[in-house]
Amino acid sequence: MAVVKEFTKGFWDVLPPFRLVLGLCPVLAVTTSAENGAGMGLATTFVLVCSNVLVSLLRKIIPSKVRIAAYIVIIASFVVMVELLMQAYSYPLYQALGIFIPLIVVNCIILGRAEAFAGKNGVAASAADGLGIGLGFTISLFVLGGIREIIGNGTFLGLHVLGTGYEPFTFMVRAPGAFVSLGVMLALINWISARLEARKRRNAS
Amino acid sequence: MSFGDYMLFIVGAILVNNILLAKFLGNCPFLGVSRRMDTATGMSMAVIFVMTMAGMITWLVQYYVLEPLSIEYLQTIAFILVIAALVQLVEIVMQKSLPALYRALGIFLPLITTNCAVLGVAIINIKEEYNFLDTVIFSFASAVGYSLALILFAGIRERFVLARIPKVFDGTAIGLVTAGFLALAFSGFAGLVGGH
Amino acid sequence: MKDILKMVVVLTLICAVSGLTLAAVYDVTKGPIEYARLKNVKEPAVKAVLSGYDNDPIKDRVQIPIGTDKKGKPVNLVVFPAKKGGKTFAVAFEGAGSGYGGNIGVMVGFNLADNNISGISIVGHSETPGLGARITETQFTDSFKGKSLAKELTTDDINALSGATLSSKGSVAAVNQARGLLEKYRDKIVQGG
Repeated sequence: MAVVKEFTKGFWDVLPPFRLVLGLCPVLAVTTSAENGAGMGLATTFVLVCSNVLVSLLRKIIPSKVRIAAYIVIIASFVVMVELLMQAYSYPLYQALGIFIPLIVVNCIILGRAEAFAGKNGVAASAADGLGIGLGFTISLFVLGGIREIIGNGTFLGLHVLGTGYEPFTFMVRAPGAFVSLGVMLALINWISARLEARKRRNAS
Repeated sequence: MSFGDYMLFIVGAILVNNILLAKFLGNCPFLGVSRRMDTATGMSMAVIFVMTMAGMITWLVQYYVLEPLSIEYLQTIAFILVIAALVQLVEIVMQKSLPALYRALGIFLPLITTNCAVLGVAIINIKEEYNFLDTVIFSFASAVGYSLALILFAGIRERFVLARIPKVFDGTAIGLVTAGFLALAFSGFAGLVGGH
Repeated sequence: MKDILKMVVVLTLICAVSGLTLAAVYDVTKGPIEYARLKNVKEPAVKAVLSGYDNDPIKDRVQIPIGTDKKGKPVNLVVFPAKKGGKTFAVAFEGAGSGYGGNIGVMVGFNLADNNISGISIVGHSETPGLGARITETQFTDSFKGKSLAKELTTDDINALSGATLSSKGSVAAVNQARGLLEKYRDKIVQGG
């Protein structure tokens, strides 16, 4: 049961980047479309799961003084792997995500999970933690990318969903729109969780 | 490039293609340390220093180590290790020889390793095939642009204390929306080097 | 002392394993990466200048060594052959010439049997928008079609752009450079395909 809990917490309790306000750069930069968002999310998930598993396996071997250096090497290796695989098998996506693929290495979520979770817990729990948080991150990016794509470009996954007469509100796919839409979505999540919290308290009393 | 081209290049890097607001690099510390003016200023100074140094060193690593050995695919891993080592080194040297500066900037240095703006600028230098001089100028100008955005933002954010912000927007959410308007203001500079 | 030794050993081991694994991954993905890159970057230009083939010119590409660069690294000419029924009837590759704003890269297609140009496509340039940049428009590129390879082209042979002499000249120079390469390496280019 514990493993299931480690997996599901990533979808709400610590849902990145909203609950866990980390790794914002790729969130802002690549969510110009749902597809890019999902691609970035999955690449991050792959690195997160692999590094979590490896860090957890090696947690008793790595001396604590050099653990951060060791984590960085492990994470960077998986990032390079993703870079190579994506170039070979999904080149257009690689081009769309550009510099943000190598920058997965400094995504604070990954180092954060290695330090806060995988370095202290078993392999199964760490894998579940990585997968849950990674998928939560992917869904967030997909939704945010979808919203920005629909409003800013009138399309969803490349399909015209608002009809050809729709005048795209390009603000949304530009840089300022990235900040504003993420901020508004964060406020929305705050609002929902405040409501849930209030209901829970009412039920308890 | 002529002198005029360099001026445009610098203005472009600071204002138009602002690394933080237009290229989205280094946002975690941007939201993290911008609550107060003094921490924002400290972070800015540390970023200017480390980013310029890191830009130069990674450039040398790329062209004098990775390329001769034909292992350019290890760029990411090599750069992050160089930056992490550099930050450590700067910390040690500064602690020993410039204790006053260390007291002011010390706590920001470890945060810089995971500041993606530093690694981002290092990668852009190589991607755009800048020569060594361009690299120095671009790294420095980008860092200045980062600092400008960070300090301006901290100035705005300090005023939040006096404002009545809706509860759900409190904290990071209003910060992001504000950053959006700052980005909007910066995008107005695009005309400065437009058509170039 | 023992601690330091352990630290060094562990870090070295991690780095070594990571280096070896990445070298292996790089080796496996090297071919597919080159193919994917050419497929996305070059294929549109190749399609624009060649037609009527039933093979994959990107997959069947031929590399011909044509010298070394400043640092002494070998430079290869990448030739994309167009085949029908397994026989090469046309090839495409790039030439470069200097225009007004910098180098102009042109993908040139050659009909081998008719000894003429099957088409050209501008693949990279930094000419002035609205002026020299019109070299990418079809009314300019189409004027190269069917030109004989018997002699070097001049701007008189084509539909040169008024007000953009240097850009037109640069494009012609790029086509002529490709023509020169075809002359020089004809045997290898045809044989290789």
